[in-house]
Amino acid sequence: MKDKLTPRNIILCVVICSLPWFLFGIDEISSLLKQYKISFGWPGGDYVLRIIVRACLYMLLAIGLNIVCGFTGLLDLGYVVFYLIGGYTAGILMALLGVHYWIALPLAMAHASAWGLLRGIPTLRLTGDYFAIVTFGFAELFVRIVKNEDWLTGGDPNGLLLGIPAPRIPFTEFSFNDNWHNYYHIIILLALVIFVTYRLQNSRVGRAWVAIREDEQAAESMGINVGRYKSLAFAVSAAIGGIGGAFIAQFQSTISASLFEFWESIFILCMVVLGGMGSIRGAMLGAVILGSLGEILRLALNNYPKFAGSRYLIFGLILVLLMRFRPSGLMYRKK
Amino acid sequence: MWAQLFEQLINGLVQGGIYALIAVGYTMVYGIIQLINFAHGEIYMFGAYFGLILITVFHIPFWFALPLAMVLCALLGMLIDYVAYRPLRNAPRLSALITAIGISLALQNIARIIWSARPKNYPPDELPSLFVSGISMTGEVINAIPLPGGGTLPYRDVFILLIAVVLMILLNLLIYYTRIGKAMRACAQNATAANLMGINANRVIIATFAIGSALGAVAGVMVGLSENVTPNMGYYKGVAAFAAAVLGGIGSVTGAIVGGLLIGIAEAFGADLHSGYRIAFAYIIMILVILIRPTGLFGKATSKRA
Amino acid sequence: MRMWCVGLLIIGLIAFSGCQPSDKTTDNATDDTQEADDTQEAQQELKIAVAAPLTGGSAAFGEMIKKGAELKEKEINEAGGINGRMLKVVFRDDAGKESEAPLVAEGIANDKKILAVVGHFNSECSLAGQPIYDRVGIVELSPGSTNVKVCANSKWTFRNLYRDDFQGKFIAQYIDNVLTDLESVAVFFDNDAYGRGLRNAFVDEAEKIGLTLVASEAYERDTTNFKAQLTSIRAKKPDAIFISGLYTEAGLIVKQAREAGVVSQFFGADGIDNADFLTTAGSLAAEGTYITTPFLFGDDDPKAQEMAANFEKLHNVLPDTWAALTYDAVGMIAEALEKTYNPEAELAENRSAIREHLATIDTPEEGYKGVTGLTYFDHNGDTVNKPAYVKVIKDGKFVPAEKQLLDMK
Repeated sequence: MKDKLTPRNIILCVVICSLPWFLFGIDEISSLLKQYKISFGWPGGDYVLRIIVRACLYMLLAIGLNIVCGFTGLLDLGYVVFYLIGGYTAGILMALLGVHYWIALPLAMAHASAWGLLRGIPTLRLTGDYFAIVTFGFAELFVRIVKNEDWLTGGDPNGLLLGIPAPRIPFTEFSFNDNWHNYYHIIILLALVIFVTYRLQNSRVGRAWVAIREDEQAAESMGINVGRYKSLAFAVSAAIGGIGGAFIAQFQSTISASLFEFWESIFILCMVVLGGMGSIRGAMLGAVILGSLGEILRLALNNYPKFAGSRYLIFGLILVLLMRFRPSGLMYRKK
Repeated sequence: MWAQLFEQLINGLVQGGIYALIAVGYTMVYGIIQLINFAHGEIYMFGAYFGLILITVFHIPFWFALPLAMVLCALLGMLIDYVAYRPLRNAPRLSALITAIGISLALQNIARIIWSARPKNYPPDELPSLFVSGISMTGEVINAIPLPGGGTLPYRDVFILLIAVVLMILLNLLIYYTRIGKAMRACAQNATAANLMGINANRVIIATFAIGSALGAVAGVMVGLSENVTPNMGYYKGVAAFAAAVLGGIGSVTGAIVGGLLIGIAEAFGADLHSGYRIAFAYIIMILVILIRPTGLFGKATSKRA
Repeated sequence: MRMWCVGLLIIGLIAFSGCQPSDKTTDNATDDTQEADDTQEAQQELKIAVAAPLTGGSAAFGEMIKKGAELKEKEINEAGGINGRMLKVVFRDDAGKESEAPLVAEGIANDKKILAVVGHFNSECSLAGQPIYDRVGIVELSPGSTNVKVCANSKWTFRNLYRDDFQGKFIAQYIDNVLTDLESVAVFFDNDAYGRGLRNAFVDEAEKIGLTLVASEAYERDTTNFKAQLTSIRAKKPDAIFISGLYTEAGLIVKQAREAGVVSQFFGADGIDNADFLTTAGSLAAEGTYITTPFLFGDDDPKAQEMAANFEKLHNVLPDTWAALTYDAVGMIAEALEKTYNPEAELAENRSAIREHLATIDTPEEGYKGVTGLTYFDHNGDTVNKPAYVKVIKDGKFVPAEKQLLDMK
């Protein structure tokens, strides 16, 4: 937090802010070149932008999961449940009850956060993999509820919730339909989340979390209220998941139970571990890599239809290789 | 009413036997290297395919195909350990978890590419006739024990339960009365100390993978016999078996067996109660058990760090 | 400091994906063609995309979809193509995941050569891709999404198969009117969009017409043991059990049901119309199972028979419902292209011309006659008037049932 207005940061800000226009610029160049029969295989600005938005969403979720997994050192295999709760809270509020997105978003966040606390209370004394499996079971329960109780989600099977409207800027007719709207939207959410987590990490709370991770008993004897700090971690982490859920609900405009399956939890966990546990930057890096790897592989394999089916095979092997050569995560530095 | 509950109990036991066979693979590996081997579900899936290929392509009789599939799966397990997990022995524990997930993805897709995603069945003609139950021309269920209430228990399912019990007894004998079993227990207690005592930890670990994978292969072939074989068959049963292993106390073989049976029975009764929540009932039982006994039924305290 | 590497990575990613020669010809045989040839060929070739779950949990269906599309592509091209241009079908894998479908859609929408989309399979995926297809203006013709609401909110979405509500209603009425000796029914449904949607429609209609519904049990897609549910269904003694699900599970259900002593009549929807159903269930267990289907590979439909024979010749398996539906969907798009494609026009014009053409297919006279029967759309883009036939399994074969229910109330 020391370096604030360095030239590099300013450039970075400008790059992030102008990214969509840069991409659309390439679109223009590509169609211009096409008239001269030159094609350099640009897949389209909107497509790339969508990949970026999705990667940013995963960054958000990975940062959230990192709070529980990285900071307090508990293995959470059911993080997707907060994503689900956020998604359905926002989705139901917006699609069925006509609530405005800007009200639904904090409600989704609060709702997810409340469940994070509720889940946290009985699991406070669990450690290691017992905590992991309880979180997993908890997440599966919620998926079953969404699948079975279709009166809750508007009556369509499989928790299908349709027609979630795009958020509108209050008092105007401007709504977030395009990818670039959603890009700025997620960037702002992400910036807020990064800011909050950084402040938390570098505060008394963050130090307490690390102390709990390193040695719970020692932390307790140093006067840290372990239960309280753990609960705080659960609540904050769940709230971030809820934000992610609310975002995906309006971004996709359709959500269903299949969006929140176990694989998604695992996927986000992979991002956190890949980047290096306990590092916000690491979680973001992991999210960028894994969140876009699938699409990069798809683009690469589109030319070789014979191998198009092996996309996830290669994905798996890349995971293995990355861990093989950076076993402690990409952003890990020896202390 | 009671007849139905009894039948559900049997249904649960048969499922539970399979879960137990898979769960043992999870728990043994965990006991020694503290790794949740997510690829184990896929090893079980490969076991089912190995059995299928041996029977349909090479026309090997079932009784030889089963041990052969076990051997092949053991080799696969050892290979995975050697290639993927061994380099990560000293890395943070979760790194190996990611490797396991990567391997699991890779194996699933390899199976899909080789054998296609369409479900395959063990051919009834090539199996011992005892295992081929179903209705006959006259409408009776053959090769099955009639149960009160109208259901039947196929001989095949009896065999599944029997083989599960026999293998579990053998496994316990192996762990408690052989040198390698002793070495395994030593490594599970303290790998460094065991190493200092002259035990080659890598050999013990690879033996563990081999045994766990071989048992997974048995489960795979059994499921192939009674159900079918698909590339993503490892997911549901693998996850349930993992839950069983944790429920029993991860690291404990007895725990895995009890946990497997418990999950199987909870699922069967759960389905009777509200089928939409069938597996959820198993998870609820699991969560309750863990909340009451934070180290599972038979577990000892595990390492605290994730 | 904290963000630079992330920013760099984003840019790196863009650069990397930008470097991919993503639009070279996808045919292996012409991989080594030069850039000039490439553009020339691109002018001759008409490209459409098939979006299907080629990997993941629904891959078994994606495979058949791919095979169906490949057969139609081959047949069209062997017959000289579309107005002398070759049809090129490219496949895009959505893995059956709702989170991937929008990316697939965006990739297709941004591909300047793809004129129309056949897909997706899962209703969730069709719906998730819909906003993007709408925004860009490209036809999405689904050969597999049966959810009632898939087409309702978009003028770009069409489908050439039944909606859940039609089929559920049909089956309930068939049981009530034709199989009159069956009084009590149970539903055993796949707890997923398809199975549950169909079950809801069936249950609604059964209640309306006075069928006694004694049990309604669920199972999860991809599970393989159904004994527990079957035991509790058997206790309710239904005369018929309607399996509202897909053949991958239904075969096992029938097999395990017979083992569990279930003697009821089985009934299934188009999701079961696959030869693998028989091999899994065993012909003795499956004997007498009724199935609804949009088409019969029977003697009275030479077109379907011919397609089945060609399909088997090309792929060594029998076609199933989705293979046939995809075959027809590709055929419909090809027909639209034949009538509307204008090489001089802009991409967007050509894409919307296909839409306009499909929208005009709204009466039986203009309908597309494919192997799955006559397809024409209502104002939403739904196919609601496709007749449903009933097949029955007799002596280990699918044969048309003696009594059909052709006019539904």
